[in-house]
Amino acid sequence: MAIENIKTKGGWADQDHVPGIKSELLELNMGPQHPATHGVLRLVLHTDGEIVFKVTPVLGYLHRCAEKIAEGVNYKQWVVYSDRFDYLAPMCCNHAYVTALEKVMQQEVPERAEHLRIVTAELSRIASHLIALATFGLDMGAWTPLLYCFREREVILDLLERISGGRMLYNYMVPGGVRYDMPKDNWAADVLEFITMLENKKIADYNNLLSYNKIFVERLGNVAVIDPQTAYDYGCTGPVLRGAGVKFDCRKDDPYSLYHKFDFEIPVGQGEMGAVGDCWDRYFVRVCEIEQSCRIIRQALESLPDGPVQAIDLTKIVKAPAGAAYSRVESAKGELGHYIIADGGQVAFRNKVRSPSFCNLHVVEKIGVGQMVSDLVALIGSLDIVLGEIDR
Amino acid sequence: MDQKEIYELLAEKLGPAALGFNDEGVEAYADVEPGSIAAACTFLRDDERLQFNQLMCLSGIDWDGYDENGKGKSVKILGYTDEGQPETSDHVSEGDFGVAYSLYSHSRRHKFTLRVRTPRATASVPTVSGVWTTAAWHEREAWDLLGIRFTGHRDLRRILLEEHWVGHPLRKDYQMPGTWDNVPLHGQPYCENPFPPIEVTPDQPAGDDPAEG
Repeated sequence: MAIENIKTKGGWADQDHVPGIKSELLELNMGPQHPATHGVLRLVLHTDGEIVFKVTPVLGYLHRCAEKIAEGVNYKQWVVYSDRFDYLAPMCCNHAYVTALEKVMQQEVPERAEHLRIVTAELSRIASHLIALATFGLDMGAWTPLLYCFREREVILDLLERISGGRMLYNYMVPGGVRYDMPKDNWAADVLEFITMLENKKIADYNNLLSYNKIFVERLGNVAVIDPQTAYDYGCTGPVLRGAGVKFDCRKDDPYSLYHKFDFEIPVGQGEMGAVGDCWDRYFVRVCEIEQSCRIIRQALESLPDGPVQAIDLTKIVKAPAGAAYSRVESAKGELGHYIIADGGQVAFRNKVRSPSFCNLHVVEKIGVGQMVSDLVALIGSLDIVLGEIDR
Repeated sequence: MDQKEIYELLAEKLGPAALGFNDEGVEAYADVEPGSIAAACTFLRDDERLQFNQLMCLSGIDWDGYDENGKGKSVKILGYTDEGQPETSDHVSEGDFGVAYSLYSHSRRHKFTLRVRTPRATASVPTVSGVWTTAAWHEREAWDLLGIRFTGHRDLRRILLEEHWVGHPLRKDYQMPGTWDNVPLHGQPYCENPFPPIEVTPDQPAGDDPAEG
């Protein structure tokens, strides 16, 4: 199939018919130090001129074997390692881990803590999507949106610093609740003010600057189309799956925490600028998700109940009864799952992390074939991978 | 569909290869014979009533030293001593390896967990990468970190570690390497400390500074 694909684009298979000219595949390393791979990722490309014949991702440059560490430190100590997976949306990773752990422990969480978790996780998701827009624009040659997106992300970092004490890596959620209650100095009002500004003005700015920019649209429409069947087969989740037109979001379809209480939409790819599931669709799903996250934050803050934020004393060591469970949440990149096996002690027997970027990246082996090298850059940018999560 | 009903359909298909169903814990799971895992997965994916079209997670597990009584007395993993030397142990690993498959159906909205166990000596399970392509990378990871061989896998190379790495780190009996490519890995200083520690002589009486005369 790959060869047919290339033939239609006039690639090497055609050139072989030109008498006297011999062509061969070129092996090319893209990365591990390459701005378009969004981290230390190496792609071994076999290309014929500009057309990609085969893509082989080489992973592991950022491998820290966090799953081994999970078998050596106790449950609470490991929260800090979960931050380091998706360092652009650490709150979502915290949330994934504590949700999985609480499922194994069968631990209830106070309602106020759940609200704070949702608010912080959604803020983190917005921050991550802002980076996704910014760096995607950068990959496509648009410099200015980067500065706009980083400006707004900075506000989120400040807000999260005020509630957790950390700027990038928070270690905020603990089994049974959150580490700190909301600060008393008008934190909620500041968050509401920020999301109102984002909804009313900033998203329109991004759309004017980037989303409907003619160069950007022509660069991405109809490029690297992922169909739903491929997405299921390769385990794609998150904006990649929704960009393919599948209305699936763990927050709605497999609810955890208190997401069932809130009213929000699931944006899906419409094929507005080409085919359903092209790069532009995956990009635009993220823009729409920023709006939906704002809606969730507003509802969660307006209905914030009083009460404690921790069900377990912070100084106590946490133990989980013997058992195993897989639990997943919708992180900024997709479905982030943990398979935790407990043996009744204070250390996990096994903690397998299923990271969304790991599965989403796999799809380049199929979709990357037959693309131009420059379209491969668009594909990788639209997948929005983060290497901390792939290599773990 | 209910977990129990799913298992009954599966057991009907597999016959004696379906080893049992356990719903006592937080999450129900079915044990199947490793040899028939590919057949079981193909059935779960293709059956009209089940339609498990997504493999959410594939976890390799080393069951060695697992505390069956749930008292938290499982075998400790080996790390480094305070001197920076790899820890060693007399414990002889005998436990099985396992693989857990977490499945989800987008159309039917149900989940299911399958488990297989394979003896430590053989440590091999047929691949399911022909059923869901995403399994290919998960299986490479399980091979890399646990050393479980997936027979029939087209490209079973290490995925996260170096090609020439020795051993499989997530095994419970894995011994930490002391050096890697001649670089000490833990606890040992890379160079001599250029600042010698300050020596304090305790017998010098306070206030008796000769400079003061």
